[in-house]
Amino acid sequence: MTGLIGKRVPKLDAPKKTTGETRYLQDIELPGMLHGKILRSDRVHARIVRIDTDEAKALPGVHAVITAKDTPGVPLGHGKDNTPLKGDKVRCIRDEIAAVAAESEEIAEEALRLIRVEYEDLPAIFSPADALKEGAPVIHGKHPDNIPFRFDYAHGDVDAGKEESDIVIEDTFTLHFVTHCCMGVSGVIADFDSSGNLTLHSLTQIPFLFKKDISPVIGVPPGKIRVIQPVIGGGFGSKLDIYPFEPICVFLARAAKRPVRIVFTREEEFVASPTRQPVELTLASGVKKDGTLTFRDVRTLHDNGGYTSWGATTPFVIMQTISSLYRVPHCRYHTTVVYTNNPYSGSFRGYGNLQATFAVESHMDRLAEAVGMDPLAFRLHNAQEPGETTLQGMNFDTCGLRECLETASAKSGFLEKRRAYRSKQAGPVRRGIGIASLLHVGGGAKIYRTDGCGTILKLDDFGHATVMTGSTDIGQGSETVIAQFVAEELGIPISAINVVNNDSEITPWDVGVHASRTTFIAGNSALRAAKKAKDKLLAAAAKKADLSADGLDLRDGHVVDAATGKPIVELGKLIRSLHFTQRSDIVMTTEYYEPPSVMQDREFKGNVSASYAFGTQVVELEVDTETGIVRILKVTAAHDVGRVINQLGIEGQVEGGVVMGIGYATTEHLVVEEGVVKNPSFRDYKLVTAPETPEIDSTFIETIDPEGPAGAKGIGEAPAICISAAIVNAIHNATGVRFTELPLTPERVLRRLKEERE
Amino acid sequence: MSLKHEISFRLNGKPATLSVAAHNSTLELLREKLRLTGTKHGCGEGECGACTILVDGISVNACLMFAVDCDGREVTTIEGLRAEKGLSELQKAFVEEGAVQCGFCTPGMIAQATHLRNTCPGMNREEIRRGIEGNLCRCTGYKKIVDAISSSLEKRDS
Amino acid sequence: MERKIERYCVPGTVEEAVEAIAGKDATLFAGGTDLMVQTRSGKRPFTPLLVNISRIAGLGGISTDGDRVRLGALATISGIRTSALLKEKAGVLTEAADSFAGDQVRNKATVGGNICNASPAGDMIVPLLLLDAEVELASTAGRRMLPLCNFFTGPGKTRRERNELLTAIYFPIPPVGFAAGFRKFGTRPAMDISIVSVGVAATRDDAGWKNVRAAFGAVAPTPIRGTRTEAAIEKGGTAGEIARIAESEVSPISDVRASAWYRKELIRTLTERLHHDVFET
Repeated sequence: MTGLIGKRVPKLDAPKKTTGETRYLQDIELPGMLHGKILRSDRVHARIVRIDTDEAKALPGVHAVITAKDTPGVPLGHGKDNTPLKGDKVRCIRDEIAAVAAESEEIAEEALRLIRVEYEDLPAIFSPADALKEGAPVIHGKHPDNIPFRFDYAHGDVDAGKEESDIVIEDTFTLHFVTHCCMGVSGVIADFDSSGNLTLHSLTQIPFLFKKDISPVIGVPPGKIRVIQPVIGGGFGSKLDIYPFEPICVFLARAAKRPVRIVFTREEEFVASPTRQPVELTLASGVKKDGTLTFRDVRTLHDNGGYTSWGATTPFVIMQTISSLYRVPHCRYHTTVVYTNNPYSGSFRGYGNLQATFAVESHMDRLAEAVGMDPLAFRLHNAQEPGETTLQGMNFDTCGLRECLETASAKSGFLEKRRAYRSKQAGPVRRGIGIASLLHVGGGAKIYRTDGCGTILKLDDFGHATVMTGSTDIGQGSETVIAQFVAEELGIPISAINVVNNDSEITPWDVGVHASRTTFIAGNSALRAAKKAKDKLLAAAAKKADLSADGLDLRDGHVVDAATGKPIVELGKLIRSLHFTQRSDIVMTTEYYEPPSVMQDREFKGNVSASYAFGTQVVELEVDTETGIVRILKVTAAHDVGRVINQLGIEGQVEGGVVMGIGYATTEHLVVEEGVVKNPSFRDYKLVTAPETPEIDSTFIETIDPEGPAGAKGIGEAPAICISAAIVNAIHNATGVRFTELPLTPERVLRRLKEERE
Repeated sequence: MSLKHEISFRLNGKPATLSVAAHNSTLELLREKLRLTGTKHGCGEGECGACTILVDGISVNACLMFAVDCDGREVTTIEGLRAEKGLSELQKAFVEEGAVQCGFCTPGMIAQATHLRNTCPGMNREEIRRGIEGNLCRCTGYKKIVDAISSSLEKRDS
Repeated sequence: MERKIERYCVPGTVEEAVEAIAGKDATLFAGGTDLMVQTRSGKRPFTPLLVNISRIAGLGGISTDGDRVRLGALATISGIRTSALLKEKAGVLTEAADSFAGDQVRNKATVGGNICNASPAGDMIVPLLLLDAEVELASTAGRRMLPLCNFFTGPGKTRRERNELLTAIYFPIPPVGFAAGFRKFGTRPAMDISIVSVGVAATRDDAGWKNVRAAFGAVAPTPIRGTRTEAAIEKGGTAGEIARIAESEVSPISDVRASAWYRKELIRTLTERLHHDVFET
């Protein structure tokens, strides 16, 4: 054992990233490569009458200009209601009309300016409610009612639950558009060889599904597509679908017979990359006088925008929090997803759970107050215990919610401070403290028939290991965690491990980097591959030394006597002795790990994840009641992570997630007016910057998950999920005013506070 | 096309003479013409700091500086900020403190932190946070970046 | 964007500069931090002559000149932020420079550029209005002085003629008893375009506050003086009364950053707080 698990292990890719050596997509220039640019619609809903590309084609340096008529028009995206280029009509501001490949970005931009498009405007819809009105304009002919999806879920009997309730409350929560803001913008390089093999340098988070999904759209068999993933400048779920620019780049490369790179501008990234799903959620909750939850009844309206990407399916996750964060005997959930002419949403860290938890945890505070309990006691009273199966069918084999609640409260002084801040405070600046908890998948999410990940492990003649994993590192540090598992198992230093995780020709299948699944699924896969290699090495060593393999172990690059630690043979020497013989053999193992989870049934029930993550965050803040500004002072987080694998990495996930969640709650807002993005720049789309970040105190609750690799659960998304609820609960503590709409910009806060005062 | 103008300057300690378009930014000069891709293009508007470089020892956004204005100046990019052997103390601190996730903001952060180390070596955490207010990071929540800069202050590159 | 730069020049002296721009449609830059964004977005096309004024000898510096302070047009915001002279004589400029963009922009952006860019939200303008600053403009015809409060004519528009170069900003060294304060409102300490900014200043003598100045940013097409607010402070009104007058004399617009209503609210609150901090303590 090298004792790597739980240590502060610096990321393997970090040194190169500090020197600028790391090559991102933007930095890759293939010989002969052209630059692709996309002409986007400046209308939100219009018929395309005519597109004239003659002038653009004539511009020197332009190698290809394409429109819908040059492409097969095969539908793409999660809802298959989009096409790469639009030929008949546009349905939102980002719609792709034409594309150009030229010798420089400047020439390509110039060519775009020379393309003339004639539109005939159509009546447009900008709110989900309007989309449902009688006689509303139809956005997709296939859905005359503008409703592409409905989701219904129920357990128990909500009407009976209402009967049992002593108190019932109802609120409507309004959640806004935000976007990922990856520091590295979207892009792709398409490169055909003369045999028709296509190499895509893609930032996708789902390399294998990507191959399958893009194949029919571009008319290239999946077997001829190789996906190489350059280092990704931030993912956060933004790259889980196929978006039109990807096949467009392929079409340009095919037309120009040259490699083509498309890289977005920052403005384009704001306008034409996915958003978090905006939701209007009406929640009714009931409680008995003794503080026992009785029911939840939820109706939500989702603004799907012009097309369907993953944002439409966030109800899968929203309903988990509604049904299973706390024990609720009766539950009903209904979602209507409607088309509008707004931008469309994709998946984004937390995937609907930020929206759901905002509502549920706001209500937990209101219900506690209604029954006269403190928010902590009320939550503890309704919290699940390890071993329970929720009414939606989730098995909480381990469940650290109670410990998270108790730890975050105790470390933050929650109850005392809450009491103190409730009493009248002098001056315009008021302090408040708030609490909220979360439930999220921590062991993958079986939304396909397999939720697995493959590993190929190869040991070379010198005892160095190469781990070929299907999983993708998007900066979160999965490469390092995988190397830790393998190093630990094989008793070799982490420096003797190389992880290959970015080439579909080499790496085995994986679903993708999403659902906080990589440490759990890819980690288990790598660990099991390493165990197989270890077994093989020990068996070989035992045979050579005429010992029992049971008494041997791998440590410090040697096969050793497990009991005494006495070295028996150096690892490289052992491997060479296997390799360079008449009956030669190499040490290479494979593993495909499939978690013991199930797909949900038609009623959305079933144990969809092999493990579940819990967490509690307490926020202490200040509200300036005369300007409306909210300053977050301190966040105390306690997360059930199963087991810490890399202390440095997991702290980074929590700190980054907390700050992203604070941005969602307070400053970030993609302002969309009549379908148009009004603030497509970092000047006016306000990410949290370093001076506004609060003190963050993270504690990790180790429940040692029996299925998790070394006991770990997934943690990637969890830290961003509950903070907005903790913030509104803290603002209520500070001011007595409850907010149900985000973001809590100073102007919104001041307006409400003044309304309440008047 | 636009007017070209010849400039001479020192780039990472070595003299360079070349001709650039008058409208080009220093970022375009570095990334596209000189293929020094360590300096990142994050926004092109001076809002994210990913393109931070040192000019005459002072940090600036390369995207906002006219390339022609490099003439006669000493320009240092991330490629010029390594130590003689391996990583600088600041770079080591970024690695050891976990200040790097996706890494896209890192070269700009290192360049800005170099400027801060040179100009205000006695900074406290609050001053460090103000010092990097012009650098956006979407992954880390900044805490570990502040940790890294803070811990590096006690160490000098040999 | 049209890119039709035909000539680029780097004058070494004011004389060379004014000679170069005489009779031409020139685009001048020093730090370039505003110009680069505006040309790139197409808001401001290049003109045939691009002039880099950043190498003009003697155009920088922060110094006293008799009973005045001189800020060379090329003085950077960082230079102002860290100037011991200004901290001592005109700390309100230090405060404003400290709330100006991020470090990298402060290191390159110049005070002359911030003034000539004439943004309604220009961070250095409000404190300079408090200090009764004048700008010095040079042309082949010589030099002239213009009070800063008369310099702006609209967003991005000033009384600088096309053939003129802004060379320096002067303001009288504030006398003993001078007090001033500046507040910029945003969710970040500095990396924000002001939603509003407010400054007040006055000099105390035995009788009370004299030479009162009040100025506001981002509430009108240009940064403005608040003359009614000044009169009210001089008369010794309460902070609340003064704040309401300040609110009534601004007419902000609504945009993606804030509504007119909110800007007026902030003007009232910040003026009241500034009055308290500057005149009551």
